[in-house]
Amino acid sequence: MPVKLKTALIGAVAATAIATSASAQEFPTKPVEMTILFGSTAQTIGQLLADLMSKNLPEPVVPVMRSGGGGSVGYQYVHSMDADGYNIVWNSNSISTSFHSGKIDFDYTAFTPIAKISTEVPAIAVRADSGWETIGDMAADLLASGEKLKIGASGDGSFTHLTTEALLAAVGLSDQAINVPYDQGRAPVELLAGRLDAAVQWPGQFISHHEAGTLRILCLTSAERVPAMPDIPTCAESGAEGIDIEMWRGLAAPAGTPDDVIMVLQDAAEKAVASAEFQEASETLGFVPDFEDHAAFGELIARDDAIIGKLMADLGLKAQ
Amino acid sequence: MDLLIAALQVTVSPVTLIAIFSGCLLGVIFGAIPGLTFTVAMALVVPMSFALDAAPAIGLLLGTYIGGMTGGSVSAILLGIPGTPSAAATVLDGYPLTRHGKASLALGTAVVASAFGGFVSLIIMMFSVDFVAGLAMRFGPAETFGLLIFGLSTICGLSAGSIVKGLIGAIIGLMVMTIGVDEMSGMQRLTFGTITLQQGINILVAMIALFAVPHVIDAFVQHYRSDRELNELADVRAELPSIRDLARNFWLMLRCSLIGTGVGAIPGTGGPIAAFLAYAHAKKTSKTPEKFGQGAMEGVVAPETANNAVTGGAMIPLLSLGIPGDPATAILLSGLLIHGLIPGPMLFLEHSLEIYEIYLAIVAAYAFVVAIQLLGIRFFVQLLRVPAHLLAVGIVIMCGYGAFTIRNSVFDVVAAAVLGAMAYGLNRARIPLTPIILGLVLGPSIEREFRTAMILSEGRLDIFYTSVPAAGFLLVAFLIVGIQLFKSVRAYFAKSSPKVKSDASTQSN
Repeated sequence: MPVKLKTALIGAVAATAIATSASAQEFPTKPVEMTILFGSTAQTIGQLLADLMSKNLPEPVVPVMRSGGGGSVGYQYVHSMDADGYNIVWNSNSISTSFHSGKIDFDYTAFTPIAKISTEVPAIAVRADSGWETIGDMAADLLASGEKLKIGASGDGSFTHLTTEALLAAVGLSDQAINVPYDQGRAPVELLAGRLDAAVQWPGQFISHHEAGTLRILCLTSAERVPAMPDIPTCAESGAEGIDIEMWRGLAAPAGTPDDVIMVLQDAAEKAVASAEFQEASETLGFVPDFEDHAAFGELIARDDAIIGKLMADLGLKAQ
Repeated sequence: MDLLIAALQVTVSPVTLIAIFSGCLLGVIFGAIPGLTFTVAMALVVPMSFALDAAPAIGLLLGTYIGGMTGGSVSAILLGIPGTPSAAATVLDGYPLTRHGKASLALGTAVVASAFGGFVSLIIMMFSVDFVAGLAMRFGPAETFGLLIFGLSTICGLSAGSIVKGLIGAIIGLMVMTIGVDEMSGMQRLTFGTITLQQGINILVAMIALFAVPHVIDAFVQHYRSDRELNELADVRAELPSIRDLARNFWLMLRCSLIGTGVGAIPGTGGPIAAFLAYAHAKKTSKTPEKFGQGAMEGVVAPETANNAVTGGAMIPLLSLGIPGDPATAILLSGLLIHGLIPGPMLFLEHSLEIYEIYLAIVAAYAFVVAIQLLGIRFFVQLLRVPAHLLAVGIVIMCGYGAFTIRNSVFDVVAAAVLGAMAYGLNRARIPLTPIILGLVLGPSIEREFRTAMILSEGRLDIFYTSVPAAGFLLVAFLIVGIQLFKSVRAYFAKSSPKVKSDASTQSN
C-alpha cells in the first residue's frame, strides 16, 4: 500500500511537472498586452521593453497606453483582467502613491511581481549663479537668512514631490519652503527664468543645462553615485544625510497569475534588459537598467510601500 | 555651410525621404479622420523609429506631426468636424465654404496657408532660436495666465450675437474639463467616487461629442424627416486657389505665422489657442468682418497658418530648453532622446549636424504634405458625393473607434455619446459651439497657470499686475469684454428706442 501510494505520488508529481512545463511552453499563445500608465519617458521605455521582449517570445508583447488619474486608470484596468498573464502592467512606485492617496482601493498585493526592470534617480538642481555648491550650502544659507526656498516638482503626491519633501526634511528646511507643483517638464525652465530657487526632477531634464553651465545639479538622491554621472555626488554626500530614494519600474500581473507564466515573462524581460539596445537606450533616456527577479522585486515593492506610506502620512497626503 | 551640405546628404538619402513621406502620409490620414489625431499617430510610430537611424527616425516623427497638423483641416472643411483640436477654428468658415460649393478651393488654400505658416516658423526657429526661447522663458505662470484670459476674451467676438449664450457655452466647456483627478493636488473632482470618472473627459472625446455627434444626429433627422433630401453639396469641383488669391492674404498669413510661432513657443499653450487667436485677429483686422462665419476665406487662412506655425514655435523650447510644450512634442522629445539627442543648450553645440537635419526634414515634410494634400483634394471632395446619412454611419464608426483608441477605454466612447447628445441639445438651444471649445481647450491651462502663479506669489495677487506682459494681456482682455458689453447694451437700447418713438408717432396721428 505505501509503495503504491508512493508510486501514485511520484506519478502525480511527474504528471504535474509535465503539465507545468507544457503550459509554460504553450504560454503565450496570443499577444500579451502591456498597459502603460504614463506618457513621456515611461512610455518610451515601456514601448522599447515590449519590443525587445517580443523578440524572445513566440507572440508579441503589445504596449497599450492607459493613462489618466496618476496611473489609477491603468492599474484598475489590469486589476480587473483575468490572471492568465496576457495582461501585464508596466508599473512603478506609483502603485503605492496611488493606493495611499486613495485613488485606487487595492494595494500592491493585488499584483504578482514579474521583474524589476530599471531605476531612475531624482536630482535636485539650482541655478549655477546661486552660489550653492552643495545641498548643505543651500540649507545653511537659507537657515541663516530665514528666506523661503521656492522649490518646484511635479504635482502633489507625485514621486518628485515626495522626494522634495524628504530632502527638505533631511536638511531642516521643511517649514521654510514653498512647494510649487508643475506639470511635467516645466520646472527646469521656471528655475532658469528665476521664478524658482530649486527644482527636483529627473536628471535628464537638467543635464544639458548642467553641462552648459546655466544650472547646477547639486546631488542625486540614491545611496550610491549613478554610474552614468560619476561626477555628481549623492545627496547624502552633499549634506542631506540618510537620503536613499530611487524610483523603480518593473512589470506585474494580476495576483494569482500562475508561477510558470510569470517565469516565462520574467525570462523574456531579463533578456530584454540585457540586450545592447536596452543598455544603449538607458544612457540616452537617463535611467539605470536594474533587473531583479520576481521574488526580489516583490520584497522591494513591499519595503518601498511601507516607506512611501509613512512619508505620505507624515505629509498629510495619506487617505487610507 | 559644410554642415548644411552634410545634413543635406543625410536628409535626401532614400531611407530618410521614405521615412518622412510615410510619416506625412500617416499624419495626414490620422489628422483628417475625426477622432484620430497626430498624437495617436506619433505614439504609434515611436516603436518603429527605434529600429531606424537618427535622421530617418526623427524625420518619421516630424512628418507625422506636421502631416497631422495640416490634415486636421480636411474634415474640418469638408464635414464641419475638426480632425484635430487645432483645426476647431477652421470649421467656423471652412464648413460654410463647403456649403457654398467651394470645398476644394478652401482645402487648397488651407494647405498652402499651412505650409506658409510652417516655413515662416522654421525660418524664425533657424535664425532666432535663442531670442525666442529667451522671450518664451519670460512667460511664467502669471504671464501665460494673462495670455490665456486674453484668448478666452475673444469669445466675445465669436459668440455670434448673444454674449449671454456665449458665456453659458464657455462655462459649460470649463466645467466639463474639471471632471477627473486634479493633476496638481491629486484631488478627485466630480468623479462621484468612481474610478471610471477619474480619467476625466479627454479633450478629443469632447471634440467628437461637440462636432461629430450633433452632425450625425442632424443627418439622420433630416433623412427621416424628408424622404428625399436636397443634396446641395453635390457641386464638387476640383478647383485650386490661384497665386493671386493667395497673395492677397500674404500679410495676414505673415501676421498669423508670427502669432502661431509665438504662442507655440510658450509652454502650456498650443495649436488650438493659436488658431483661435489668429482667427479673432483676422476678423478684427478684416474690412468685411460680417462675412466671417459665413464662409470668408480669411477665416480658413488665419487659423491654418497659425496652427502650423505652432509646430515650429513648439520646437524652439523643445530643442533649446528641452521643454515639450504639448503631448505631441513630448513624444518627439522621447524620439530625440532615444537616438542620443538630448535637447537643451548643448544640443546646438554638440549636435549641430542633427539640428540641420531636423530643419531639412521639416522642409521636406512640408513639401510632401503640400504634394499629398493637393493631389488628395480631388479624392477628398468625392466624400461630398456620399449621401449625408450614409456618410454619418461612417463618421459614427470612425468616431467610436477614435474615441476608443485614445486610451483603449470604453468609457471614452460612452462619454462621447452622452456628451454628444447633450451637445445636440445645446445646438438646438442655439448655444454657440465656439465658446464651449475655447472653454474646453483653455480651461485646464487657465486653472493650472492661475494656481501655480498664486503658489509662487504666496497668495498675493500682485504677481498679475507687477509683470508687464501679464498686466498687458489682462488689460486688453478686460477692454475687449468691456467694449463688447457697452456695445451690446447700447444696441439693446438703440433697438428698443425707435420702436417706442414709432409707437408714439402712431398715437399722435
